[in-house]
Amino acid sequence: MILHLLNRSPVTSRVIDDALAAMGPDDRMLLIEDGVSGGLPAQALFFKNLAGRLFALREDLVSRGLLERCGEHVTIIDVEGFVDLTEEANKTVSWY
Amino acid sequence: MRYALLVQGGPYSSQASHSALRFARAVIERGHCLATVFFYHDGVYNAARLSAPPQDEPHLGDGWRLLHDEHGTELLVCIAAGLRRGLLDQREAARHGKEGYSLEEPFELTGLGQLVEAGFSHDRLITFSP
Repeated sequence: MILHLLNRSPVTSRVIDDALAAMGPDDRMLLIEDGVSGGLPAQALFFKNLAGRLFALREDLVSRGLLERCGEHVTIIDVEGFVDLTEEANKTVSWY
Repeated sequence: MRYALLVQGGPYSSQASHSALRFARAVIERGHCLATVFFYHDGVYNAARLSAPPQDEPHLGDGWRLLHDEHGTELLVCIAAGLRRGLLDQREAARHGKEGYSLEEPFELTGLGQLVEAGFSHDRLITFSP
């Protein structure tokens, strides 16, 4: 399993297309920095094949005032959870 | 596990350095070994010796130094990226005929080969980019 880090909003960058195309069926994606806006319900359609495999970093949601606005399509984790994900993944790939 | 981080974002211009430092502390808190941080591209500015942010803001350079002092983390700076941006240790400054120097221990100028090596010799390599 590979962990993919995405730090761009799906509405301001198309790098998400490359990230999604590169993902295997068991891979996970963690949204960080401006990427956490992908947790908004309106952005859920971008991640429709990632049920249960999409995460967003709590600290970056809080700093953007988005923590209470996330949809069901994303699991919120904190930086300790970020470490967990890197432990569980064989590799981590950053998309930016 | 042995972790290495790659930091490619400039301090105070993108979130990358802050994200990396926050993750670094969490890795250590978990009991892992944060063996190496490699600074590349604008990330090399994290090593600026004369960096002096306002006192009520996080001092990224000191944050990295603390990781070295308390946990032995190696702080490696790409020499090619550093020299281009005016980040020279005493030896390089003398070699290039410059007055003064802008980088000092525990930061260490090193080649890109060290980054490749880090990819092989650590269990995890995590990249933080702008």
